[in-house]
Order: sequence, then structure tokens, then C-alpha cells
Amino acid sequence: MTRDQKLRDDRLVFYANDITRLDSEIDTFLELSKARCVLLVDRDGHLVTRRGESVKSHEDTISALIAGSFAATKEMARLMGENEFAILFHQGQRDSLQLQLIGERTLMAALFDGRTNLGMVRFYAQETAERIEAILVEIRAEDRGTGLTEEFGAGAASALDDIL
Amino acid sequence: MVQINFAQKTVNVKIVYYGPGMSGKTTNLEIVHQRAPDKNCGELTSISTDGDRTLFFDYMPLNLGTVAGMRTLFQLYTVPGQVYYNSTRKLVLQGVDGVIFVADSSAAMLDQNIEALRNLEENLNEYGKSMATLPHVIQWNKRDLPDAMPTDELARHMNHHGAPTFEAVANTGQGVFPTLKALAASVLRGIMQETSGGARPSGGTESPAPAAPRQPARQPAVHAAPQAPARQPARQAEAPAPTPSRVRQVAAQPVPQEVVSTAAVRQQAPAVQQPSATGLMQQPQPTASARPQTRQRARQQGTAVRRARQQTAAIATKKGGASTGIFIAVAASIGAAIAWAAMNYLA
Repeated sequence: MTRDQKLRDDRLVFYANDITRLDSEIDTFLELSKARCVLLVDRDGHLVTRRGESVKSHEDTISALIAGSFAATKEMARLMGENEFAILFHQGQRDSLQLQLIGERTLMAALFDGRTNLGMVRFYAQETAERIEAILVEIRAEDRGTGLTEEFGAGAASALDDIL
Repeated sequence: MVQINFAQKTVNVKIVYYGPGMSGKTTNLEIVHQRAPDKNCGELTSISTDGDRTLFFDYMPLNLGTVAGMRTLFQLYTVPGQVYYNSTRKLVLQGVDGVIFVADSSAAMLDQNIEALRNLEENLNEYGKSMATLPHVIQWNKRDLPDAMPTDELARHMNHHGAPTFEAVANTGQGVFPTLKALAASVLRGIMQETSGGARPSGGTESPAPAAPRQPARQPAVHAAPQAPARQPARQAEAPAPTPSRVRQVAAQPVPQEVVSTAAVRQQAPAVQQPSATGLMQQPQPTASARPQTRQRARQQGTAVRRARQQTAAIATKKGGASTGIFIAVAASIGAAIAWAAMNYLA
């Protein structure tokens, strides 16, 4: 596999239509499961999309922590002879969080409270994960360029000069 | 890996500070957090031990603002530097777009610097990456130390790919921003080179050729008016102003003592447990020090040992007595026979 091909395989480029489809699946899940919100995070810690009630001000940090947490448990699973621990569950006093692996590189974090229960969330999350995985497989199958222009490069360099 | 989201209008880039333990990786991030404009800095999240040693990673998002219609976010991570935490270092490197290697300029740390660099290459290889192709810069930190080595000598040992190098005294802030700026620029150049240099779709246009169901959506918002930054990452109001705050700390068990020399490190590195065919980890045989016993159990065992020893001694004594008797009897018989022969044949 050439380096360019590998880069394209690894790169995540989402267009509006992709996010619309993902959001639609997540909205259905939220309606059925009565969860509070869902974050879709890739394994590198980047937030793909978020739906439901807001954890807005900490989104980036939470995404990074979710990815780190999952990466740690994946390594534990490997050392224990398991392929993976596909689901993590964190129980809080008010809210609980279920992390579900979708495919090999995406995580769905579902935050829920007393309005629903773990069984409902887990049941619908499984179905939703399969549908989301199908969408992500389609996205990755396409050969997409970055779509960024020279203007972006120059602008980013200028922003770096201003900040740093 | 760079994530480009035209729907959310975001570009996310992951940068990792790497280096041996106590080289100044977390200090670099703290300085950036402290001195970069508030509107561009997110929270600094640290997962560290009680002794403020990084346990998993430190994380801070650096927002460049909206560039060509895209909210550009650099996600800055540091890794734990101690040899013990290699597995977690490897996890943090996943999807990295650029590395800042923070080296300790002290002569006493040369071996650890070299080992950390080797470890970085090894961990990158596991993701199909390499220092030869990954954007990276090297920071010679702690230049204020009396035994700081000359930078050309450090470069001879560590800069195998001609990466840009920067001198720094991170705890005063010196050299921190130039290092980060250089790497960020390098990563951005890499992204733009990839855009212009062959990752273009077959249509040949600068923007990706829209497929039928996606026509309006696939155009990135290049020509849109610059937007106000979409989100202002919140800073913890209670963070003390003069020093960078660790927003969250997860207390953990105290870390083991850091090993200084490479040779000692290799001896003391915990063995990787390979799963057996049944999927269960092979448990190491416990050493005496790993299984402390209760006092009562020890006393009982000591008594049993003493009894066993006594019994063995008794058996040994009995066996010894019987053997001697047989020997004497045989000797006496032979003696008597000789005497009889002498009397009858020699007289």
C-alpha cells in the first residue's frame, strides 16, 4: 500500500450529507431510548457529531477523554486475549454514560439519566451502531481529497503567527 | 489523523509532546495554556498522579479560530515519559499528526533521551508511521542546566532526520511558542501538500467533484465570509491566575521509582504477559517478597518445619546405628576366620 493510499484510507473527511445521515440515525436513537445526548467520536479523539442536550463547553475535552479511555480498555482486552471490550459503562449519581465501539474506529457515547434505563439504551444503541457503521463504511470507501485550499493554508499560518 | 468536517466546518489536528520522563513536556503545555490568548485556549486536562507526574496524558485544545471558513483546532497532548508507561504512550500516539520531541539537555539524561526517541519510532511503526515522514521538531529543553550538552552534539545523537530544533527553558517559557509554532506550521504544510500533490479526486478541480446526491454539500465553505469562532472553549474560572491550573486530576497510585540508566530499565521493565491459548494471562510465579504471609501462618509453618527436621534427624540416627552394627559383625567374623586359619595352618 502506498503512503498516499494509506493516508487516504486513514483520513476522515465528512461532508454535510454524511453528517445529516449520521444525525438522523442518532436522533432516532435518542427518541427511542430517551437518552440525553450522543457524541460520536473517532478513535483519535476528534468529535464527529453531537446530538441532544448540550455538553457544549467541554466537547473537545470529553471527546479526547472518551478516546483515551477506550484506547486503554482496548489494550487491556488485547492483553487478556479478548478482541475488544465493545461497550463501556460509567454509572454516575445523576447521569450515566455508555460508550459503544462502532466498527474499528468510531465510538458512540450515550449520556442518559433516570428518564430511561441501561437496558433500553443498550438495546437501541446496538441497532443504531450497526446502521452508523454501514454509513461510515460507505464514507471510507470513497476516495476523498481534503478539499482544503491554499487560502486555508495561508490563513492558518497567519493565525499561528497571531496566537504564538 | 487530520479530521476535516465540512458539515461542522472544523479541521482537527493532533499534536503530541513526547520525550523521557521529567523532560518538560507537561511544562510546555502549561506554558502554552498560561500564555496563549484566552479565546484560543481550551481547558488543560491532566490525568496525573498525586505527585503530578503524567499518568495517562495531558490534553489542551488550541483553537486557531476560523480560517477560510473552517474552525481549526490543534489538539495538544503530552504523554507520560517514564518507561513504565509505554503502553499508554502508545495509545496517545494513535492518530498523531505531528510530534514535538522534548529532550532534556542534561548530559546525564542522554541515554534516556536516546531511548525515548527509539521508543517513539517503535510506537509510531505500530501505526504504520515513521519519524522519517511524520512532521516533527526537537526541543532541547533545560538549556539553563550547568551540564547542558552542546546542541550540535545533541543533534548528532538524536536528530537523524534533519528536523528543526529549538533551544528552550520551558519553565520560564523560553522556546515554548517557537517550537509549537514550527510544528503546527509543518503539519499544516503537510496537509496542504497532500491537498495539492496528488490526493485530488480524478475531476482535477480544486474542490472535490460533487456526486449527484451531494452537490450542494460537498463544497467546502472556502468563500464564505469569515465566521466568528463557533465556540468559545470555557476556562475554569477558579483556575489561579499566575500559575497554569490542572483542571482535573485523577489521583492514582504513586508511581514506581524512575529508573535512571537504560541497562537498569531493561532489567526492571515488567515482562509483557502474553495470553495463553485459553485466553488467560500467564501469571508470574510469586516471589517471596510478592506474597507476604501472616504472622500466624508463618509461626505454624516454622513449627512444622522444626518437627520435620527432628523426625529426619531421628531417622538418620537409627539408620546410622544399624549400619555400624552390621559392619562390626562382619569384621568380627573375618577376624575370627583369619585367626582360626592361622592356628590350623601356620602352627
